[in-house]
Order: sequence, then C-alpha cells, then structure tokens
Amino acid sequence: MSSPTIPLKRGGREPCMGRPAMTPDDVFIAPFVEFDFMRRALAGTVVLAFGAAPVGVFLMLRRMSLVGDAMAHAILPGAALGFLTAGLNVFAMTAGGIAAGVVVAVLTGIVARATDLKEDASLAAFYLVSLALGVTIVSVKGTNIDLLHVLFGTVLALDNATLILIGAITSATLAVFALIYRPLVLECVDPGFLRSVSRSGGPAHIAFLLLVVLNLVAGFHALGTLLAVGLMMLPAIAARFWTRDITLMIVLAVASAIVSGVIGLLVSFHASVPSGPAIILVAGALCVASGLFGTVGGVVWRAFPGRHLEA
Amino acid sequence: MLHRRRALFVLGAMVLAVAPVAAQEKSSPAKLNVVASFSILGDLVANVGGDRIALKVLVGPNSDAHVFAPSPADAKTLAAAKLVFVNGLGFEGWMTRLVKASGSKAPLVVATKGIAPRKMEAEEHHGHDHAEETDPHAWQSVANAKVYVANIRDSFIAADPAGKEIYEKNAAAYLAKLDAMEQEVRDAVARIAPERRRIITTHDAFGYFGAAYGVEFIAPQGVSTESEASAKDVARIVRQIKKLKVPAVFLENVTDPRLVKRIADETGAKIGGTLYSDALTAPDGAAPTYLDMMRHNIRTLSAALMS
Amino acid sequence: MSVAADPANKGAALRFRDVTLGYDRHPAVHHLDGRVERGALMALVGPNGAGKSTFFKGVVGLLRPLAGLIERGGVADADIAYLPQAADIDRSFPINVYDLVAMGLWRRAGLFGGIGRAEAHRIHEAIAAVGLTGFEARPIGTLSGGQMQRALFARLLLQDARLILLDEPFTAIDAKTSSDLFDLVHRWHREERTVIAALHDIELVRQNFPQTLLLAREPVAWGVTKDVLTAENLLAARRMCEAFDESATACAHHAVA
Repeated sequence: MSSPTIPLKRGGREPCMGRPAMTPDDVFIAPFVEFDFMRRALAGTVVLAFGAAPVGVFLMLRRMSLVGDAMAHAILPGAALGFLTAGLNVFAMTAGGIAAGVVVAVLTGIVARATDLKEDASLAAFYLVSLALGVTIVSVKGTNIDLLHVLFGTVLALDNATLILIGAITSATLAVFALIYRPLVLECVDPGFLRSVSRSGGPAHIAFLLLVVLNLVAGFHALGTLLAVGLMMLPAIAARFWTRDITLMIVLAVASAIVSGVIGLLVSFHASVPSGPAIILVAGALCVASGLFGTVGGVVWRAFPGRHLEA
Repeated sequence: MLHRRRALFVLGAMVLAVAPVAAQEKSSPAKLNVVASFSILGDLVANVGGDRIALKVLVGPNSDAHVFAPSPADAKTLAAAKLVFVNGLGFEGWMTRLVKASGSKAPLVVATKGIAPRKMEAEEHHGHDHAEETDPHAWQSVANAKVYVANIRDSFIAADPAGKEIYEKNAAAYLAKLDAMEQEVRDAVARIAPERRRIITTHDAFGYFGAAYGVEFIAPQGVSTESEASAKDVARIVRQIKKLKVPAVFLENVTDPRLVKRIADETGAKIGGTLYSDALTAPDGAAPTYLDMMRHNIRTLSAALMS
Repeated sequence: MSVAADPANKGAALRFRDVTLGYDRHPAVHHLDGRVERGALMALVGPNGAGKSTFFKGVVGLLRPLAGLIERGGVADADIAYLPQAADIDRSFPINVYDLVAMGLWRRAGLFGGIGRAEAHRIHEAIAAVGLTGFEARPIGTLSGGQMQRALFARLLLQDARLILLDEPFTAIDAKTSSDLFDLVHRWHREERTVIAALHDIELVRQNFPQTLLLAREPVAWGVTKDVLTAENLLAARRMCEAFDESATACAHHAVA
C-alpha cells in the first residue's frame, strides 16, 4: 500500500520497481514510526488493556458477563447530560458518565442486598430507568447533534487530555484491584466463608462495579463505540480457555487485549477497517481460536483429549 | 441514525417549503406560479421574478438535493406551476420522473444552458477506474451565476411578456450585484499568496470556483462521509497534507471534531470553517442567499489561507 | 458483649436466651434456651429441615434472631470458623488448593497483609495435616468431594478459631476421609476449642461427641449424648418436623412468654 513517493523512514532502503514488497517492518513497525496518531492509539489501547482486561476476568468469573453491557447503557445518559451542560469536554462527559454509572451501581448493590431481589433483576431495573431518563433529558433539551458520535471518541483521535484520563483510570483500577482483590476472589469462590470472616464483601463488590464503570468510560474514549465492552470481556473469555489459575488468567487476558489492540490497529491501517470494530473483531477472533484450541475446555481438546494420565 | 435524521430534516424542510406556497396560491392568483428545484436556484429566480411570481422551492435550505426524495405534495406543486427551473447537468436526477408523474405541462427551464460543463472525478478512484461525471455545481462561479440569471430572465419574459420591463430591471440590478461579488472574490483571492491557494476539503462542489478564481481544491483521500474512519483513512490524509504542504483543511463531513483536530495537530494545517456549496441556510444562518453564501465562503477561505 | 461480666456465663462459649430463628417471620428454630460450654464438643442432630443450618447462621450472625438473644461470651466474630455445606463453593473458579487453604489466614493477613515464609510454612503444614500434600497447585475444580472437604478442613486449621461450626462436614464422604477429618476434630477438642458439628450419622455421634443437641425446629433434648439420643427422643424429633406452614399464625408460646 505504501506508494513510492512516500519516503521510507527506516534504514534508507530503496523501494524496488513499482510497489515495494512489504517487509515485516513496513507491516508492523512503520505505521507507528510514521504517524503520531498511531502511536497515541497504541498507547491508549495498551493502557486500557491493563485495566479493562482484569475487570473483564472478574466479570466473567462472577457470572456477570452481561453486566458490562448493561452498565454501558446506564452510563450513556450521564455522558449525554455532561455533554449538554458543558459541551464537547472530555472531563464533563466522563464525570457525567461515571456519576450515572455509580448511581446505578450503588443502587443496584443496595437493593440487591437489602431486598430479596436478585442482583441481575435489580441492575436491569436501574439501567433501564437510567437509559429512559437520559433519552428524556436529551429530547427535552432538544439537541440536533448526533449524540452517539459525540459521546464516543475515536482511538485515532486521542488527544493529551484523553490519554491522561485513560491513564488515570487504569492506574486507579490497578490500585483499587490491589485493595479489593482478596475479598473479590473470595466472594466468588466461597461467599459464605467471606461473610463469616469479613464484612468487606459488600464494599468490595460496589468498588468493583465502580471499576466496571470507570473502565467502560475509558473504553468509550479509546475505542469510540459501545463495543468498548468487547475489549473488557473478549480477552477474558479467551484467557479462560488456557488456564485454571486466576493470576495467569488475568495476565493472559491483558496480553490478549494488548495483542487485539495492536493487531486491530494494524488491520485498520492496512485494510482500511474502522479501528474500534477492528480491535474488537481481532479480540473476537482470539476468543474463537481459544475456544477451539484452548487447553482448558476447548473444542479440539475435548474431542481429542489424548491418552489419559496415570493419576 | 444519520440517515433517519436526514430523512426527518428533509421531511421538515419539505413542509416548510410547501406551506407558504400553499398559502399564497389562493391569495394571489394573478402571480406567475413557478417552481425552482433547490434553494440556491430559488434565490436567483426570486431575485429576477420579484413580486410578479409565486415561488416554490422543492429542496429547501440546508437540504441536500442529491438525495432528495420527492413526495406526492411535490408532484401537486409541479402540476400547478407555469414554469419549472432546474439546474441541469445531472444535478436533479429525480426531476424527470417527478415532472412525468405530476403531469405538469410547464416548460422546464435549464438554468445552466450555455455554460461549458466541467468534468469531475467520481469520489473514490480504485485502481485505474477514473470514472468521470459532469460537475453540476456551476453556480459556484459568479460568472456562471450571471448566465443563470440571464436564462431565468429570458424564460420569464417568454412566459409572461407583460412583465418584461420588470424582469429586465430586476435582472440588471441583480447582475450588478453579482459583478460586485465577482470583484470581491477576485480581490480576496489576490491577497492570498499564490502558493497558499490550496485547501483540502471533503466538498466536491468547488470545481467551478477553483477554475474561475485559481484556488486549488483537493479531495481528501480516504475520509468518507458517515462511516467511522479507519487508521488507513487518517494515515492517507495526513500523508497527503504533509506532501502537498496544504495550509488548510475543511473536513466538515468528518463527524468527529476530535479527529479533525488530531489531523490538524499532526500536520500543522489549519482547520477551516464551514463552506456552503449545495444549499442555502435558513434565514438566520450564515448563508441565507446566494450572495451571502459566496461572501461567507470567500471570507472563510481567506481567513484559513492567509498566514 | 457485656456477657463477660455475668458470673453465670463464665465458661460458656455460647448462651441462648429464648432464641427464635427464621425467615420472613416463619421460625425455623423455636425457643432455644441453653448454653454451650467453652471447649465443648457438641453434635447437632435432627431430621432434614430441623433447623440445623439455621442454627449455625444464627450463631455466626448471618441471621438475626426473630426473638431472643444469642450471647457469645468473649468470642469475637473473627474467632468463629464456620464451614457451611459445601454446595456454597464455586468449584469452577480458577483457584488452586494452596490459595484456597491460604484464605484461612484472612484474620491474620486481612486485605493485603503479605504471606511470609512463616505463613507459607503453616499453609503447607495444614495441607499436610489433611493429607493433601502434593495437591497444592491443583485447581479446586479437579478435586473430588472428599479432597475438597480435606482442603476446607485445612483452611479451618489455619483459621485457628476458638469456636468451630461444621455444617454436615462428613456428608457424602468415604469412611477413610471421615476418619482422617475426625482426627482433626478431636485435635481441636484437645486444644480446648469449642466445636459444634451437624451430623446425620447417629452412631458417629454416639462414639465421638460427648454433648448433643437434638433439634426438630425446637430443642427436643440437649445434654449428654447418651441421654439425648434415646429412641423416644428421636421418634419425637421426627414427628415434630412438620411442614413449613405459610398460613401459620403468630406463635402462641411466644405471646405467652
């Protein structure tokens, strides 16, 4: 795709006649060397991976895989409200989105614990109300702007403010994870035991939902679509097919998210596919491959488990 | 989403465009019923016809004549018309069918009659296919607009000989204004350093303008309307801007302002404002008339291109 | 807990004062009155639905009494180790035996206390004590029922609690595993910890537990095992376990008391 008129950045290699053959450097390195926006996109997705993938692993293990999606909808109205009051301001929209998400998360948690209602039903109720409220506010304020386009950034247009925001959210995510990791794990494995040794289960759960919200907002900015949920869940699901150890699972999920980001950007660069969907599609492909060939419950391994072991 | 909004917009504009005419129809039977296909042409027709005509515009302000979908009400409007003005050059592809459907007997006046048409390249060129089409946006050159006005005047006189004097007087007055505008545009371009007279824009409507006044309009590579940008799209336009040392870009159809800003930051090019090409704005907008539109465009261009 | 000041409570790990436990006003355990001595080894016996699990939930504090008062003389929340019925555990969770057992150190390590060399040693010791050495890195999903129960006992060991509550710990477990785990129960008894275990196997209770509470939605008998587990008492217990009655009226016994 690189035409002879574009000077090669690396090594002064002369293009051959006509279209130069693509070296691995041209495919994998040159796009990031030549373009600032590609470097920013890379930084954004890699940083996002460190926060979103672990969140996704826990969502999956807690059987809350669809919560990310519901939360994404709960956030939209807040972000819209932020936009309507402060315009196209990263921080106003982020603050609005987080506020809406937190309100929904906390109310969901409180209702699920204070009443007989199960958490999923409680969440469904609150996110639907939040969404309806948002649509109402937007239409009452009467705006002409295509909100979906405004609410979502694009990974190709990450400015300093957005990069800082994503970085801050990831840092906060990792810090909070350090704090709630044990109760979070324990609440999944043996909630009864956790309740008998500590009261930290409830707060840890709400803190975790907060992390979901934060990382979704970061994902919206970075990936520019509702598909942000995809970078959270798909790497986690892929990782699940390779290990029975949670630490390794988190590491694999982060790695898978980073690989999806890099390959997705390169696909978008070389094949002219919108970058957000490209990243998610790569993550989805990793997921399918893992489901087929993964050593833990993958299709192929189940069909041909090999000779059984001695013990 | 966007399509639905646009459809709503068109719907609203149609109602607006039809409503006043419907009111006029009964109140002033003496007036000459005429129809113009789109807002810019409508403005020229109104300036020549003055009080003697009752004008209806099919594609109103802020609406895109390229994608107009006529309604039965439009057919009724046409049926009642004594004269129908169109731009021609393939601009109103829907008009032939609409005229036929309406059973209108009114003569169809092609306002661009006598203008040498330009060719323009089709939007995307893949490989060797350089599809060429006639560029219908002739009004973007003021000299062409004067031809429009002459054509409009002559057809009015033919259809309504009693008003000959008034039409001639109106046309003469408006032509004088067009001459002044022509001078204004030329003066403005002259103030821009010759090597800076180039912009990248997503509008494909400025071919006549560029040819007439010596400003180079370059279509951006890759960035297309209404779809999410790919990294390749952005890379291509960044390369193009850098390679051609383009001082300003007008990327209105890139829906995400953050993306436009990123491109500008990365290339050092200035972000231009809004240029109007195919339709006028509502009366409270920046370009409610043809003269306003041309003035707005040249000022916006000079502002972006002057260093 | 102001109980410590009351001389009558001296030596009691648990004191029940007319306790009624239940859900939605429907009592599962009525009018429990009595005490569990410190260092006691007590069996909790009763037919299905007798309220044994409810009893434990009340003691741990997961269920607030509908009426009455449970006093835990000087036993703090953290000093109670509670092993609920194994069904509560998500066996599909990707965690290995070592980490599961290590959770027993929660009281010491809390949210982020490190697991040092001394703690690691204790964890390995506990795993060895239940006979799971070599299984440290095995994901819990691959354990058999008996192995899982051994791992949970290792966790109990690490909890180092003064009051240990075991809800059906030997159900669906082979004799070898039961007897291995029973050794641990006896060890706790020797260490003067208070142990209460819900059991189905009357013979097992007769052989191993000095004290027994026979429960059938209300205490049938409570005291020395051989006095409690008489044929009449067991028959009475079976009869008393009537169905959960939606239309039950307010308990008259309670109204009088």
